Amino acid sequence: MFQYLVRRTLWAGVLFLGVTLITYVLFFLLPADPARLAAGKSATAEDVARVSHQLGLDRPVYEQYGLFLKHLVIDQSLGRSYANRRSVNEMITEAAPVTIGLVVGGAILWMLIALPIGILSALRPRSLLDRGAMIFVLVGISAPVVWIGLLLQYFVGYKWGLTPNAGYCDVINPPEGQTCGGPWDWFYHMILPWMTFAILFAAIYARMIRANVMDTLGEDYVRTARAKGVPERQVISRHVLRNALLPVVTMLGLDIGIALGGAIFTEAIFNLPGLGRLALNSVLNLDLPTLQGVIVFATLAIIVLNLIVDVLYAYIDPRIRLT
Amino acid sequence: MSLLPVRPIPGRETTGPVVRPGCSIEGSGMRNKKRLFGIVLAISSLVLLAASAATAAPTAKKGGTIVVEFTTDVDYTDPQLSYYGETWKLEGATACKLLNWPDKEGAAGAVATPEVAAGLPVISANGKTYTFTIKPGFRFSNNKPVTAKSFVDAFNRFANPKMQSTGVSFLDIVQGAQAVIDGKASTISGVKARGNKLVVNLTKASPDFLARTTMPFMQAIDPTLAGQIDANGINTYASCGPYYFSARTPNRSITLKRNPYYKGGRTANADTIQVNIGNDVAVEFQNVEKGTTDYASGGIPPTEWKNVVSKYGLNKKDGRVQVRPLLDVRYVAMNHARPLFKDNPGLAKAVNWAVDRQAFSAQGGYLYGKRTGQILPPGMLGYKPAGIYPLKVTPNSIATAKKLAGGNLRGGKAVMWASNAGVAPLQAQLIQYNLKQIGIDAEIRLLPRAQQFTNAGNPKTSDYDMTVERWGADYADPYDFINILLDGNQVTNPQHNNYAYFNVAKYNKQMAAASLLTGPKRGTAYAALDGAVMRENPPWAPMVNSNDRTFLSNRVGCITINEATGSGPLLNVICLK
Repeated sequence: MFQYLVRRTLWAGVLFLGVTLITYVLFFLLPADPARLAAGKSATAEDVARVSHQLGLDRPVYEQYGLFLKHLVIDQSLGRSYANRRSVNEMITEAAPVTIGLVVGGAILWMLIALPIGILSALRPRSLLDRGAMIFVLVGISAPVVWIGLLLQYFVGYKWGLTPNAGYCDVINPPEGQTCGGPWDWFYHMILPWMTFAILFAAIYARMIRANVMDTLGEDYVRTARAKGVPERQVISRHVLRNALLPVVTMLGLDIGIALGGAIFTEAIFNLPGLGRLALNSVLNLDLPTLQGVIVFATLAIIVLNLIVDVLYAYIDPRIRLT
Repeated sequence: MSLLPVRPIPGRETTGPVVRPGCSIEGSGMRNKKRLFGIVLAISSLVLLAASAATAAPTAKKGGTIVVEFTTDVDYTDPQLSYYGETWKLEGATACKLLNWPDKEGAAGAVATPEVAAGLPVISANGKTYTFTIKPGFRFSNNKPVTAKSFVDAFNRFANPKMQSTGVSFLDIVQGAQAVIDGKASTISGVKARGNKLVVNLTKASPDFLARTTMPFMQAIDPTLAGQIDANGINTYASCGPYYFSARTPNRSITLKRNPYYKGGRTANADTIQVNIGNDVAVEFQNVEKGTTDYASGGIPPTEWKNVVSKYGLNKKDGRVQVRPLLDVRYVAMNHARPLFKDNPGLAKAVNWAVDRQAFSAQGGYLYGKRTGQILPPGMLGYKPAGIYPLKVTPNSIATAKKLAGGNLRGGKAVMWASNAGVAPLQAQLIQYNLKQIGIDAEIRLLPRAQQFTNAGNPKTSDYDMTVERWGADYADPYDFINILLDGNQVTNPQHNNYAYFNVAKYNKQMAAASLLTGPKRGTAYAALDGAVMRENPPWAPMVNSNDRTFLSNRVGCITINEATGSGPLLNVICLK
């Protein structure tokens, strides 16, 4: 197990280097000068050159990348934003809880939807329930998140007034000037973003769970269990679901990791100050340090969650041994 | 730039700034100045009486929180850095200035009048020295008094190179300002406080100087802020207007609270003005309809304007939908420094004949604005309808455009920049189609707005043939359009506003000469320039003079829209029912 973890961590390091290096190279292919934005609108050519030097933008890309790694590893610093000179660590620290709240809440919701739909559809294939569920799946997969979000916002938030149509409230310590805050306000404002975020995944997961359960129902050990007279409830819970849901655990870990990089559409529609919006703004402002900060966070999230999933897998499925 | 703080009366041949360019300069002599001062005082008093009877202020409900929404965050809240129309709206409520636009509608609001200054300044015979007397009684929100030094501090902080303020070009006429901007001096030699007197020396007689003092850059600042030199800007600080910035969370919210020590006489109806940031215009519209937001400063979806006008009526007294013309122009700048339009007036004229201003305007929705083919907007001093280019595309206009373009296409390829936000991409596509009709194959490049004008104003990064732009008046004077946007002497500067890179010696001289004139002569000179430039060698294809469209919630009980500031309903005056 220890060897496995060491090997995975080393691979994670390689992955991390690859992702951040690609971001750097892509950024420098853009025909724009971040030093001009950082120097201010009225900056002279000399000011721009000075700022470019201060930011290290006048050095070769590989040197800049080396500096970035040095600051990250030694100082644990992601640098300062080119756009507003705020600490990127601080900006990520502010935005990450918003995205984590969205993703975790969304994941709980999509599993709450996908599990019963997937299982019941598999147990009663071609029934009215199954067909209805598959229509939901088709719509959920086909409809763009933006469209779903805007519809929910318009009807649920605006027309029916059941929830706020946009905005965010901090769970704790709302900053001065915020008009809302606390667990209830936070929950109330997150209902629509969670729904929007969850529908696509719920549809994908429902289809996957249905397929896995149907496959597993045809396995020899299920037939054997039934032949032995094991009650159907036990057959489903102990023999079918335990096996059918293994791939779901892997998928869940991966999807949550990716989503932690920023649910850009959902955050943009509902004006959530999370990592997705931060990434979007940093691209628009040519703000490499901030963009790199979001990418570092997302990469780490994916790596850590993958690792957790792999380790968890060994515990769930006794046939798997980590070597 | 989309800076829209100043605007004149609709349909009125304005005046420009207040103190009519150079009234005391031309009159030369103290007797004339006193007579003028008396007249201004008398008129001001009458106007004040009439206006106070007309507005709803006496019955306005005090207290509560007004909720305003901005679609994007402001650049800064720092008075010496902020240069966004949205920030200037807020500073309209927080700042106290030497002269200011009264919180009145119509003609009464279009004449900048002394605010912290006890009266109009005494201007020297050569027009270069302005002496203001500072009125006692004004206090910052931290209870410190406003003095002449508060303004000296503002000028010095504004010019300080470490602040990197975008607006320092407005100090070009102030003696000694350039030395500070260049880092060769720490204070501006031409701005001094002597007791309760503020003395400003200019490098040349500048009829628009008093109008410039109405810009938020020149508001009084308290000693604490004067000592805070930070290019990142200060978010919250004590100010001397009816309100002050009490909180700001970047990208999320700004809060203004009533200045408890304010005794300046301006209205402050709500206790708090809460600005929420980041919602899309569709959500802002929904929130105003629901009444959870009182004023959608970012506007509403273009397609909704027609509906809300039908539903709530237009420009009713304290009504929910208000529309006023802005002192602005949306235009397509043609880059005269690049081969396509360099010394090629035939093609520039062809573009003016080809562009479909009607379709361009339609993209913005109902009451978006008025089509134009001129540089100066209606209502601006010097505006004179010239009728040079068609405001509606017809087969004949296209035929004329093709004829003018013939032989001048120079390969017929163009790069056109446009903003990537709102209706700008659609408008760019329309222009692209119009250009195709005369043989120009334009490639559209969409950019974030800030990047568009920052790169366009820099000779090293302005690799476009055309750019779709917008300019709103910083103050109501034609200098702010003609000289600022078309004076060729600035095109080598690393950051300027002449996006057409228009640099014709003849016109440069005429612009310089016009800027020194006062009164009707000033208007005539600028009108002639507007006509001549557009007729002979158009730097732009002017498209539309926009309207300021305001949609308010049903909670709002009273509003005042000052056309001179062009910033929608005055935030300090809005009251709840």
